[in-house]
Amino acid sequence: MSKRGFTRRRLLQGSAVGTALAGAGAFFGPWAHNRAYAQSKPIKLGLTCDASGQYGNSGQDDLRGIKIAIEEFNAKGGVLGRKIEWITADTETNPATGTRIAERFIREDCSILIGALHSGVANAITQVANKHGTIYLNTNSSAPSEAGENCSRIKFVWDGNGTNFAKAAVRSAVKDIGKNWLLLTNDYVWGHTTSAATKTEVEAAGGRVVDNLLVPQNTRDFTAYLLKIQQIKPDVIAAAVGGDDVKALRAQVAQLKLDDKPAWINNQQDWPDIWGQPESLFGVFGTNWYHKLALPGVPEFVATWKKMAGAGAIPVPGNVSYNGYMATRELLRAIERAGSVNNIKIIKALEGHKMPAADRMQDFDAYIDANTHQVQQTIYLARRNPKPSDDTDHYEILSRTTPEEALDTASAAKCKLVPYEQVPTVDA
Amino acid sequence: MVFNLLPHLINGLTLGLLFALIALGFMLIVGVMEQINLAHGSLFALGAYVALVLVGPKPPLPLGIAEWWLAQPLGLRYALTLALAPAVVGLVGIAVELLMRRTYGKDPLFGLLLTFGVAMVIEESIRLIWGTRDYVLPTPPAISGGFIALDLIWSAYRFYAAAIAALVIGLTWLLIEKTPYGSIIKAGAHDSEMVRALGIDLSKLRSAVFVLGTMLAAVAGIILAPIWGIRPHMGVDAVVPAFLVIVLGGVGSFWGAVAAGLMVGMVVGLSGAYASEWSMLSMYLLLVAVVTVRARGLFGKKSILEA
Repeated sequence: MSKRGFTRRRLLQGSAVGTALAGAGAFFGPWAHNRAYAQSKPIKLGLTCDASGQYGNSGQDDLRGIKIAIEEFNAKGGVLGRKIEWITADTETNPATGTRIAERFIREDCSILIGALHSGVANAITQVANKHGTIYLNTNSSAPSEAGENCSRIKFVWDGNGTNFAKAAVRSAVKDIGKNWLLLTNDYVWGHTTSAATKTEVEAAGGRVVDNLLVPQNTRDFTAYLLKIQQIKPDVIAAAVGGDDVKALRAQVAQLKLDDKPAWINNQQDWPDIWGQPESLFGVFGTNWYHKLALPGVPEFVATWKKMAGAGAIPVPGNVSYNGYMATRELLRAIERAGSVNNIKIIKALEGHKMPAADRMQDFDAYIDANTHQVQQTIYLARRNPKPSDDTDHYEILSRTTPEEALDTASAAKCKLVPYEQVPTVDA
Repeated sequence: MVFNLLPHLINGLTLGLLFALIALGFMLIVGVMEQINLAHGSLFALGAYVALVLVGPKPPLPLGIAEWWLAQPLGLRYALTLALAPAVVGLVGIAVELLMRRTYGKDPLFGLLLTFGVAMVIEESIRLIWGTRDYVLPTPPAISGGFIALDLIWSAYRFYAAAIAALVIGLTWLLIEKTPYGSIIKAGAHDSEMVRALGIDLSKLRSAVFVLGTMLAAVAGIILAPIWGIRPHMGVDAVVPAFLVIVLGGVGSFWGAVAAGLMVGMVVGLSGAYASEWSMLSMYLLLVAVVTVRARGLFGKKSILEA
């Protein structure tokens, strides 16, 4: 060992290298418009799924659902006689990485992009897809802004959004539980837009929001928040906290036994955030699908999923994987209906498309809103199942809200889709 | 007003002790071995996973021993795990230190690259062995649940965790300051050639320090696991604040790391209560503020540029 001192400067130099190694920095690739790919080649999809960061776990569950839909189509010969290929890369729950990977996938001839959990990442991918006219399926980001101010002619949004879930939950809670609400908001687009929607619903129902505590992403210690909540004493806490953050929150709330009073309404709970921690599940929460729904097709889908998902960590599909599967399946069906791989024809085949409840394994018929490109669908409210039928049966479904009752009219007012002529054409 | 503030001051203090615990092993290796151990976070995570296996219902032990082990009350198993799991992670530390030997005396960036690779290998190995799902570390009833004080419900585990952090910090200080081994470690850090000239085996010394650092990382992982949850990338959540705390406290300073941990805890705790959107950013702002007026951190050694 030398006598040379190990200085702070050297430590900081080291950290800079470490940061670079971790993949910081974004590369914005060349722009191109109006693409056509060889029609004899397979159709290539770019799957933009998180494998790390706040939504790493959910991103991989999304990927499983997408891959199963692709495998099903390939097993019957592909689409329009062409096989479907896919590539994927970790979008790291990071908008800059999302931009970089979307650019890379388009450079590598991916004609359609699929996958998202984080609204910032989804919006970043949308910006890239917009430039190229590349169809993008936002499978799981549920920020109302995705079908509102950030909507796009090339993007389709498959999950229920924060407003849908708020509409399903808030009115009865104001009436039955209390008027004083506290918002707990993940400090990024989804959290803000979801809490804004909740606030609107609370005030419309005669309640009032007494405080809004912002939760920075990657918060692991919620003690300060839980102390503050106890000091404020609201009737209801409406939480719009997701991913690993909500897992930590749930564990800490359960530890303190604060899960009963005040009442908790968790806007939406994703299955990968619940799996492994059912004992910390509390309050009322929203979802758009559950693997124990007593509906035709559900057991068969679950069985197929379990067979095809491979060595996945979660033994049964949840809402995230379901959305990935449904989005991809409907896209490939739309290509078949359009009889073409032209992006505008595919978009037209998707817009306004009606999906029967039985086909989507939900309670009510769904449709793709032609004005916002959001799938309007059944919204379920659930709570922890007090009498589970097996070790995967974590939810008790409390209510089913029709797409019409849960409709997000505010987003529709903000969404302005560009005319088809302004979209660069792509032939996959 | 003061009554409202008091819970948040207490919270800041306990959080600060946890931050100091997270940084302790990292500080030891940087301060004594002049190596940035980027695997610190992964070793932190590994400690939590090994503890999960030992406390859980299927410990990987021979049948007879496993039966005896599972017959013991959870409290005893948990207490023994607090010693056993860091020992297991210490074995991994020995292997990593053997790999690092080729980097000694060279540019520290080599060590940094190596430990970055080790961190990736450990994290991916965790994914392969335990999968990507989350786990909860069972804790004995005596340290679980809540209690009421100041008209608020408090987490019993959090105070237990802060007490363990204080104990581990105290024991580490005693080892370094009050034992002959600590004197040799400090001498090795100050003038390694002189230590070697005195006939002390420097490679064993380095190995011992590195293993101690990895064991401290594992202890921190076990203690934080019931609060943060156990998942493969939990190490990333630990390595960033650990790094920040040692830069803020001054590289190589034991009490600097402890003081910095407490400061960070206090700032994060108070901002979480009164300006929650700043709670994550506040620690970085604190670092910028301190380093701007005192480049070497709170208790760092004076640079020749400051002479």
